[in-house]
Amino acid sequence: MSQRLKLGKLWDIYGTLCILLVIVVLFSALSPTYFTRPENIVQIFLQSSITIMIALGEFFPILIAGIDLSVGSVLALTGMITAQLMVAGFDPTLAVLIGGVGGGLALGAVNGLLVNFTGLHPFIITLGTNAIFRGVTMIISGASPVFGFSYDFVNTVTGFVGFVPVPVIFALSFAAVLWFFTAKTRLGRNIYAVGGNKESAFYSGIDVKLHTLIVFMISGLCAGLAGVLSIARLGAAEPAAGTGFETYAIAAVIIGGTSFFGGKGRIPSVVIGGLIIGTINNGLNILRVPTFYQLVVMGGLIISAVALDRLIARMR
Amino acid sequence: MSNLAPNTAGPTGIEEAAPIVRMIGIEKHFNNVAVLKGVNLDIRPGEVHVLLGENGAGKSTLMKILTGIHEPTGGEIMLDGVSHSLVTPREASEAGISIIYQELSVINELSALENLFVGRLPVKRRLGVPVVDWKLMEDEARSIIGRLGLGNLDLHKPVGEMPIAHRQIIEIAKSLMKNVRVLVMDEPTSSLTSVETERLFALVRQLKAEGTAILFISHKLDEVREIGDTFSVLKDGVSTGHGRISEYTNDDLVRMMVGRVVKQRFLAEEPIDRTAVPVLKVENVTSADRKRVRDVSFEVHHGEVLGFAGLVGSGRTDLMNCLFGAEPRAAGKIVLNGKDITPKNPVDAVKSGMAYLTENRRQTGFTPNFTIEGNIAVTKSVKDAPFRGTWGLVDRKAERVIAEEQRKQLSIRCAGIDQSILELSGGNQQKVLVGKWMSIAPSVIIFDEPTRGIDVGAKSQIHEIIRTLAAAGKAVIMVSSELPEILAVCDRVAVFRNGRIMDILDGATATEESILSVAMRDGK
Repeated sequence: MSQRLKLGKLWDIYGTLCILLVIVVLFSALSPTYFTRPENIVQIFLQSSITIMIALGEFFPILIAGIDLSVGSVLALTGMITAQLMVAGFDPTLAVLIGGVGGGLALGAVNGLLVNFTGLHPFIITLGTNAIFRGVTMIISGASPVFGFSYDFVNTVTGFVGFVPVPVIFALSFAAVLWFFTAKTRLGRNIYAVGGNKESAFYSGIDVKLHTLIVFMISGLCAGLAGVLSIARLGAAEPAAGTGFETYAIAAVIIGGTSFFGGKGRIPSVVIGGLIIGTINNGLNILRVPTFYQLVVMGGLIISAVALDRLIARMR
Repeated sequence: MSNLAPNTAGPTGIEEAAPIVRMIGIEKHFNNVAVLKGVNLDIRPGEVHVLLGENGAGKSTLMKILTGIHEPTGGEIMLDGVSHSLVTPREASEAGISIIYQELSVINELSALENLFVGRLPVKRRLGVPVVDWKLMEDEARSIIGRLGLGNLDLHKPVGEMPIAHRQIIEIAKSLMKNVRVLVMDEPTSSLTSVETERLFALVRQLKAEGTAILFISHKLDEVREIGDTFSVLKDGVSTGHGRISEYTNDDLVRMMVGRVVKQRFLAEEPIDRTAVPVLKVENVTSADRKRVRDVSFEVHHGEVLGFAGLVGSGRTDLMNCLFGAEPRAAGKIVLNGKDITPKNPVDAVKSGMAYLTENRRQTGFTPNFTIEGNIAVTKSVKDAPFRGTWGLVDRKAERVIAEEQRKQLSIRCAGIDQSILELSGGNQQKVLVGKWMSIAPSVIIFDEPTRGIDVGAKSQIHEIIRTLAAAGKAVIMVSSELPEILAVCDRVAVFRNGRIMDILDGATATEESILSVAMRDGK
């Protein structure tokens, strides 16, 4: 009994990592020459950085047994605002602060306030705002991409520190901050309490609405920062950017062992979940699997990873 | 329905009747842990046999062996004089043993009719096609439900929309439709009001008169005395007593269950000065809908516990929610030691030192994903933190000390404060929640049904805590549907009906009858 318990606990912490290792071993065997090259490893991290950023945000609504389906549109809209501000002559830093940080927080706040005031499930609210934010992106851009912004900005964001790309450093340090936030702060623990049982949290003196608002603002902030990373990588703000990203974000969070019923999950596992998505994408590309088949394989792998996780969790 | 015909043994034959079920020296081990160590139990027709024991004494295990869910490790079971080393679920059901669990097994989404016939819907043929014979179902159901005193029940309404008492009767009807000779009822009154309990007892007496053997499991000694004929007591898997209930006092029974004498009445030891300024003054509290709580005012004095009695649904919990800011108010003022602390919401309430042990620990009490430590610590952390309980870091070291203190003080039985609260028994979960509120050192404490579903030992411990708090000058309010509990702990009893206080009785002179007569008095 106690040994099983220990196994379960270990799996909670290292399970996602094991899945990642299995996938890495699998691809290394299938593509021994290319997949394991250092530059490809760096590439995997780079490709995963945006997924990780969005997933870090998505983690919080899921932690309170909700969801945020609007992250892809938030990414597009914040990226678009940032790009237009830069094109209009704003200093890039200011543009990022207004468009990426401010825009992300504001759009997240819209989600959170709507959830609080309507009492509807976040699924419905963010399904709606996903369409609204995308529509607004199209309207303000006339449905055409915006480019021609500062090279300095692009070079800084897509640059390297040593051999590590800036977006990777950015995503990982942001993850570290959020990890500290969830594990050590009162606000972080309150969010877990809200996720475990909203009513108990309410009667314990936790302001559930305030925490719900904060949770959606964090999600918006992460998507906004991902929007900034995304326009820098593409060198343009695409109105259709981030379409379908919520799927990857949710997948990364769930593969990372976060409970859909709320209250359970860890930031490091979400990062690894994001890396798993990135690794699968990268590996399938290297193996020259056509895009359509990639979708099929990706879907299958997501289901298997989560099924395996639950199977082992049940052995407790 | 022919199987409803009474058995031959009439009420006069109680003593002589041979037992339908006789369990001799039953043993049960789970992974080398002995849960039952040689338990004896006789169940006779036309008799209500009460099985007493604290939570964890082995009552459920014994029942599961009787109904064939568990295999005994040793001992003998005689069904109608035939010896078995174990009973299969099928044999149990053929012998007419039927059990009604505390957690009812009716399906809330289905109608009463469908519940009664679930798994065996009668079928007739229409144009060669088999269809459900609703007419037949309705006739059979009517006759049986009618016998149970619910003749005008809407059989087509989903049972989830019915009061628990009705669901329970449907469950009983379900077992009556089978050939029931031994009916096991596991704490059937735990969520019933006194009136519903009376109705259930009438039903039990009727079944008994028809020769059915009833095995009744309960924690409530007074009701056991009212309904039971004979009893057995289990303590830590051993039979510690049996006999006719009328020959023993409640103290005797408790001693057999707990192994020591448990104090039954805990009124204030020093006289309460009701001329002094009250600790808590509640003025004109009215709920936003002006219906569920209407213009309620009362005072709680130093050293006093104020009880709230009344029928379920009379608005007592709504009042508590209004006091705590958990439900919107149309009016009302709450004054603590002369200071207005009227909370807008639970955050304010906690910040100003109010504690509220809610009536449903699973739904509104504990945080299931937290350990004991987390459950105890989170409220204090919120109370201490600026910016509506959000700002600052968690001080694990200090919190562990606090949680450890509460664990010792309340003697919470657990493997350690890192254990998940889900792994604890109901009584211990409740103690964790008491600990969570004690840790904020509250000045106003509301206990709503503090001992629901927990055993005698934990119960008297919680009663003692309540008294200690009152003696320390806290304003203590206790809501309970268990009148003996109200009488045991409260110095004054506010009787609630239709959203208002009908009367406040003196706890020393109040009786169950006097409380009930006020609770059911016709108010305007």
